[in-house]
This record gives sequence, C-alpha cells and structure tokens, in this order.
Amino acid sequence: MNNVKELNWSLIFIWFALTTIGLIAIYSATLGPVSEFLPSSIQINFYKQAGFVVISFIMVIGVQFISPRTFIQLSYVFYLFGLILMVLTLLYGKEINGARSWFGVGPFGGQSSELMKIATILAAANYLTSRRDISAENVRYALTAVVIILIPTVLVFLQNDLGTALVFIALIPVILFWSGLPYGVSLFFISPAIIGYLSVIGWHYGLIAAIILTCVIFFIQRRVWLSITSFVTGILTVSGVQLAITQLLQPHQIARIAAFTNPSFDPTGAGWNVIQATTAIGSGGLTGKGFMEGTQTQLKFLPEQWTDFIFCVIGEEFGFIGTGVILLLFGFLFIRMLNMAGNHKHPFAQLVIVSVTAVYFIHFFINVGSATGLLPVIGLPLPFVSYGGSSFLMNSLMLAICLNMDFYKREFSIYR
Amino acid sequence: MNNPSNRTRTSIRVLQVIMIGLVLVVLGRVFFLQVIEYDTYEAMGERNALRQEYIDPARGLIYDRHGVLLVDNEPIYSITVTPSLFEREQITLLAELLGVSDSLVTEKINQAQQYSWYRTSIIFTEISFESFSNIQERLWQLPGIGHQIESKRRYVTDFSGSHIFGYLREANREDYERNDRLRLGDKIGKSGLEMIYEDTLRGVPGVQYLRVNAFGQTIENIESEMSTNPVQGKDIITTIDAELQSLAEELMEGKQGGLVAMDPKTGAILALVSSPEYDLSRLSGRLDTDYWQAINADSTTPLYNRAISNRQPPGSTVKPALALIGMELGLITPNTTVYNSGAYIRGRPYRDTAPIGNYDLRKAITFSSNTFFFSLMDDVATKGYLNDWSKMLKDFGLGVPSEVDLPYASTGIVPDSAYMNTVFGERGWGVGDLMSMGIGQGLLSASPLQIAHMTSTIANGGNRVQPHVVLATRDPVSGLQRRKRFKSKIEWIDDSSIEIVKKGMRGVIVEGGSAYFTNNPEVPTAGKTGTAQNPHGRDHGWFTSFAPFDDPQIVVSVLIENGGYGAVSAAPVAAVLIEKYIEGEISRNFVYNYVMNFVSRPTDSELE
Repeated sequence: MNNVKELNWSLIFIWFALTTIGLIAIYSATLGPVSEFLPSSIQINFYKQAGFVVISFIMVIGVQFISPRTFIQLSYVFYLFGLILMVLTLLYGKEINGARSWFGVGPFGGQSSELMKIATILAAANYLTSRRDISAENVRYALTAVVIILIPTVLVFLQNDLGTALVFIALIPVILFWSGLPYGVSLFFISPAIIGYLSVIGWHYGLIAAIILTCVIFFIQRRVWLSITSFVTGILTVSGVQLAITQLLQPHQIARIAAFTNPSFDPTGAGWNVIQATTAIGSGGLTGKGFMEGTQTQLKFLPEQWTDFIFCVIGEEFGFIGTGVILLLFGFLFIRMLNMAGNHKHPFAQLVIVSVTAVYFIHFFINVGSATGLLPVIGLPLPFVSYGGSSFLMNSLMLAICLNMDFYKREFSIYR
Repeated sequence: MNNPSNRTRTSIRVLQVIMIGLVLVVLGRVFFLQVIEYDTYEAMGERNALRQEYIDPARGLIYDRHGVLLVDNEPIYSITVTPSLFEREQITLLAELLGVSDSLVTEKINQAQQYSWYRTSIIFTEISFESFSNIQERLWQLPGIGHQIESKRRYVTDFSGSHIFGYLREANREDYERNDRLRLGDKIGKSGLEMIYEDTLRGVPGVQYLRVNAFGQTIENIESEMSTNPVQGKDIITTIDAELQSLAEELMEGKQGGLVAMDPKTGAILALVSSPEYDLSRLSGRLDTDYWQAINADSTTPLYNRAISNRQPPGSTVKPALALIGMELGLITPNTTVYNSGAYIRGRPYRDTAPIGNYDLRKAITFSSNTFFFSLMDDVATKGYLNDWSKMLKDFGLGVPSEVDLPYASTGIVPDSAYMNTVFGERGWGVGDLMSMGIGQGLLSASPLQIAHMTSTIANGGNRVQPHVVLATRDPVSGLQRRKRFKSKIEWIDDSSIEIVKKGMRGVIVEGGSAYFTNNPEVPTAGKTGTAQNPHGRDHGWFTSFAPFDDPQIVVSVLIENGGYGAVSAAPVAAVLIEKYIEGEISRNFVYNYVMNFVSRPTDSELE
C-alpha cells in the first residue's frame, strides 16, 4: 500500500464539493416548499441520494485496495457481464420515462447502461492496449474497438435511452483519437456532429462550418482525398439534417428541435422546458434567490428538477456564483483528470482515464447545454450533482478506478 | 518513445483546450443569462409565477315592487383542459373524481384536442361542488387540468318573466368594440332588463394578483397596489308585482298575445306578458343548444315580445282618444249625435255592427259605434286636420318611441300626410284611405304597451307618463336610488272632455258586450274593447281598461292574437287581473275558469 499522500486529493475534493452541492440542490428541489406538489416517491430522493453518497464513498475507499491489474484482467468478463445485464434489462426491465433501462432484483436495481459505460471503457481500453505496437492507426484494430463500443450502443438504443446512446457514440472518436488516430482524421470523425448541430440552427451555418472544417483538416493532414471526403460528408450532413427536419422526423421531434432554435414559438408545448429552464437560471441573477427561495423551482415550473434540470435549481437559487462554482469545479475536474492521464505511463490507464473524463464531459456538456438552451433538451444527468443512484454510484466507481490507477502508477508498469 | 510521448502530451492539451473551451462557452452563456439578461429573465420569472386575475363582480339582483327577490345568481363550477399539458394516464383519476366513465372523459378530451391542442377548453360544466373541490385538491396530479367558477342567473320566481328579464349570452365582436370593459367569454344581457340595464347590473370587475405554481394552482394572494376589489353590480327594484305577473302569465298560458298592466299615475308596469313565454333557466349558464335552436325555430316565436314589439291595428280601443281629439279640433261636442243606419256611406258603405239608432259621444264609445267615428274621421280628412289629428294621437304614446326601459319596443304607426305620401306617393291617397283609421284599423298600428300607455293618459286625467319597469336601483354605497320618470300634463286635453270619454268607457263595462265578464260590482271598471282585423287569419281581440273608475290604480291592456272579439277573448283576462290587483283575490271564479278554458270563436267580419 502506498502512502495515502499520493492519492489525488484534489479530485476527491472536487468529488466531495460537487456531491455536496448536488445534495443541497436535490434537497431544495424535492423537500423545499415544492414538496407539496410532489409525490412521496420523489420526496425521498434526497435521503436515497445521501445513502448512495455514503455507499459510494466507502466504495471509492475500498477500490483503492485493489490492484490496478485486476481491471485489465477482469475487463472482458466485466464487459460480457454488462452485456448480459443489458439484454436482461431489455427483456425484463422496467420502463421509466419511456426508456426501458431499469433492471432490478428485489429491492436492488439500477440502470444497467450506467454499469455498461465503465465496462465498455475497460474492454475497449484493454483491447487497444493489450499488445504492444497496436494502435487505432491499424484499421482492423480500430474497427474491432468500434464494434466493442457499438454493441452496447445498439442495446441502449433499443432501451430507448437516446441520451446514453449518444454518450457511447461520442466515446468512439475520443478512444480512436487517443489511440493514435491522426488529428485531422479525428476531426473528420467528429465534424458531422459539429456541422449537424449548426445545421439545426441554420443550414448556412452548417455549410460555413463544413468549409472551415475541410480547410482545417487539409491544413493538418495535407491529404487531398481526406479533405474532399470531409467536404462531401459535410455537405451530406447539412442536406441530411435539412431533409430530416422537413421530411423525415415525426412532428413531435420537429417540435423539439423547433423549440430549441426558437422556444417562444411554442411556449406551452415543446418550448416549455427550454423557456422555464432559461428563465430559472436567468432570474437567479448574480447571487440567486436563496436556498429554497427560487420561484421556478419551488412552484414546480421546472421539469425533472432533481435530475436533468438540477443545474437550473442551482442557477436560480445560488445565481451566477453558484453556477460559476459548478463550472469551475467541472473545469478543474477535466483538467486534473487529463493531467492525471498525461502523467501516467501505462497506456491502458491513460486510455481509461481519458475515456472516463470524456464520459463525464459529455454528460456535463449535454446536461448544462440543455439547461441553458445551448442544446436541444436531451435528458442526461449532471455527474455527481443530479439525483440518480446507479448513475452516482457508477460515476464514483469510474472515479475510484482512475484514482486507483493513479495511486499505483509507479507499480503499474508499462511492461507486464 | 519520444514520439508517442509527444503525441500524448499534445493530445492531452488538445482535449483540455476543447473541454475548457466548451466550459467557457457554457460560462459565457450562463453569464449572459444571469448577469446581462438578468432583468429580462427576472421579469419573466416574476410574471411566470404571477397571474393577474379578474374577479367577476356579482351581477345585480332583480326584485319586484314589494322587495320580493325575482332573479339572483348561483355559482357554476367547470373543469377545463389544456390538451398539450394533459397526461392521458390521468384519465382514470379524472373520471373517478368527476364520477363519470373513463370513455366520457376520453371523448371530452378528444373533442377539446380537436378544437385546439394548446388552448384551454371547458370539458365539464355545472359539476357538483363536491367533485369540484375534490379535483381542486388533486390538481397537482392532473397537469393540464384547470378549474373555473362562474355564476349564472337563477330565477327564483314561480313565473317565467322571460320578456321582462331577458337572457344573457356571450358577448360578440360588436359588444367588445362598444364596451372595452368586456373580456372574452363575458356574458351580457341580450334582451329584456338584462340588456337595458347591462351597465347597472354588471358592476366593475376587480383585479387580483396571485402567485401560482406550474399547475396553475394558487399559492397565495399577493398584496399589490394595482389590485382592486370588484364593485358589485347594482340591484334593480322593478315595478313588477310578482303575484300579479304570476297570475297574468297563468291567464295567458295557451294563448298567443301580449298583456301589459300599468299604474296609470306613474307609468310603472305591474305585469308584462308575452305569450308564449320561454324558459330562461334553460338559457342560463351553459347554453342548452337544443333548446335555443328549438325556440328559435318555433313557429309561435316565443322569443318575440308580443307585449311591446307587436304591431297591430288597435281597433276600437283607440276610439276614446279619437273622441278627445275630435272635441279639441271642434269637430264634435259631447252632444254631437250621429245616426247609425248600419253603415256609414262615404263613396262606399262602411259597416257598423252597433245597434241602429242615434249615438251621442258617450254612447258611441260605450257601444262602439263605427258610424260616429267614421263621420269624425271624414271631417278630419276633408277639413285638412290629418296632421293635427296625427300629432295629437301621438301625445297618447301611439306612433312614437314608447321610451320604456325594455329593448325592441315598436314605435307603431300613426300616419300623417308625410307618411301617407311615402306609402301611396304624393297625391296618391285620399279620404278613402284614411277612413278606416277612424275606427283604429288600416294603417294605424300599436303594441299592447302603447295601448296601456294611451289608456293611462285617459285614466289619469290627461297626463303623459313614461312607461317603465325599473323603479329604483340599489347598491351598498349610494343606497336606494329612484329612477326619475317624466310625467307631464297634455295641455290640450281638458277635464270635462275626459269625464265624458271616461263615462263612455264605464258604459262599456256596464252595458257593453263584455259586461258579463267585466262588470264586477265590487270594482268599478272602465274599458274599451277592440278587434284588430287580421287579413292573415282570425281577428285579434283587444281589451283595455282601468280601475277603480274614480281613482284609477291599474290599467290592463290585453291583446289575444286570433282571439276573435276582444270582448270575449281579451276582456275576461283583464277583468280577473283587475279584481286580483284591487281586491287581492279572485272571487269571480267563473271568469277565471272561462279564461283558463278559453276557445276562440270567429268574428262576424270573418263569417261574411
């Protein structure tokens, strides 16, 4: 056992800080004056979350006693276990908010996709780093790694959990990028997402983005065919989005997109969430309305205010100071974790830490982006802050594994 | 080793730059929302949880002349839905709370959805207070469901009064343009007193500010300088005598026609019936569409106010007034005698059904001799008095707006030369066209209200009064306020002339054809029968009367459409009412029974 001083205490502090803020916000969102309008099953969320915090804390400590090699050895078993759980969920799971993602035995249960995240990360990382000199530059290996990620992605899709599926998909470019995919090619991989996002706002923005990205890719890679492919992909993305918006999507999906680009178009329907969320944050001002004083929160104008819109609760009741602290903490989290990866010598550990950071970041950006109206509303929890047992437990487990690998980084040789 | 390590460092930096970059974007966005646009969102947040609500003022109540409550208000509870916010899983709960079937709720919600996805529609109305309060408590479980309390008119009388009170309907576009205090969905009076006294009865809505949650539930009432209390509508005290009105409607039931009972000294209307009546309570609250369509399509036109809107030739009822005009014009005196040979010859014979013999003025009125009045009209026409005649007849309230406080009162027609010119063309008419007006037929027309008005003028000794239904208004601030009504002496009528005419009318009751029904020794009555010739069917029967003879307290004018002779159709109705009003009870049951079992018979003119 190493000296406990070598534990990355700053990350533990950030975990603690985010968790505490989360508990305060969940308390306000479910046990404040608003509780009058909430069913009792929601009112106990604070206590449930507090319980998970305690369990998670014990787990974080416990994980530090495991040898990091165990994660490598168990990665495929873990992955297989996760997949079986996913299939079982699909068959026998409970539907919550339209997604069949809850699997439980007796009083114990959780979202199997949460466990699948870390399982997939470990499996993909093990696969890509299990032998020397293999990297994503080798197309065959790269494709296998992509398949390892895509299998759970499809299962999550089938569970009808779009947000989580998005997290898995976003992992693909991150892992490939880290495993040595040239920067230009990596950029090419994520360019449809950027172009697609801008195309929803306006097709001309998408087009401009396609042109700029093509130029950047050419500048980095100096490969004509890649640039041409990139440009064609960009054009296809822009027209694809246009086609989807005007022809393919169902009215309620279009309504959601329209609500994002122009919430006031339909203020009581699809635009409701966006308007209420931004109003909650904006009306918080610099210092906020005070703990349990937010009218948007306490009068239940916010949907799912203990999970997907927890950021609005903080914004409304603690103002710019509150949201600023949250953003600062997340900023530190991302920087510290990536530094941790950079300082590690073992490629498996590096890839796992980078992937975990990416998962945190995607959750963070989609959650906060939805709440602030930067993105269409996609329901994803804010890591460590939102209410959600399995989510909190698994996010903590991921952090614990990263801390563990960092803790043992000197013993965790590059060579096995 | 150097190369991959470099790559690692660069990759770390790239990822850090991207992540921090996007964190900064979010920070910028949050700064924009919370600091730069704070004022906008602060106001939005305030407005969100703040609802301005109008408090409808209680509509003024309606009382009879003795303070008996006739019309008051009762609350109606309604449930609304905003389909876009409603969750269909809650249909069962809603159905359970309302005590109706799931399928009915589903159907109502589908209807609302078809109307509008986002607008709020009323799905259940006039539900019980119990269901209403249950739903109110569970509102947080029922997103998209709202509630509403309105009030509707309740008619606490044992009579209909439909043509006095009138009904309320939702205001239309023109109403909104005319009155900027009206809001969408407000109901306003569309007929009767409700219409004329709309502004008096309505009151002023109050404004309150409520803190509400996302379900629209009220959290608290916010004290605000901008909030105002509603000002309750003023109560109306009418001149109607509830007992008399009730009896009048009973007597008119099954007949078609109009009736007006009036206090001749003031013009106060004691009873007003237009038969058939309609059921106001079925037009109150939510509109009973089937009933509304039915009464609109009904061939007996129950919505038509026969008491004040009807225009019929007044027939012989106008003879007393014509006699007064004749005396004033100097064409006749009380002693003028005209021989009735069965017809008056002027180019052609004009029939007279009165017994053959000599008629002075009094007798001519009592036995309704046409010859006497044809002769008078002949003089009026040939001596160029038509316009004076017309002007004087208008002083009795005929052919002029009646100034009653009820809507749609007809003006009627009293022709002068200008009118004749427009009908027949300049020089296109002659004495022959005027003759029949001498006995109240032809172009002459009036409503039962106008006949009552005219009779009042004679009964009260030549004073013009204003017919009216509202005696006073009352509100907590200014208390009881009597409405000012005019009364003025008609200068040209002198007392001695009136005495002669009244005696003639007294004779009608004692000696005339209606004596069997009308001659009540307890209540000395005076009156005049009339028959309005009806080219479309059976003649209409008229009767107008006042009592007691020496100190008239009531005038009753009755028109029974297609009733035949007024003496047998209209007169008995008036006799019962007069007895009831003066004596307080009906002792002459044979008249009452006759009226209740009345069957009309043809007149002689029809049999020819």
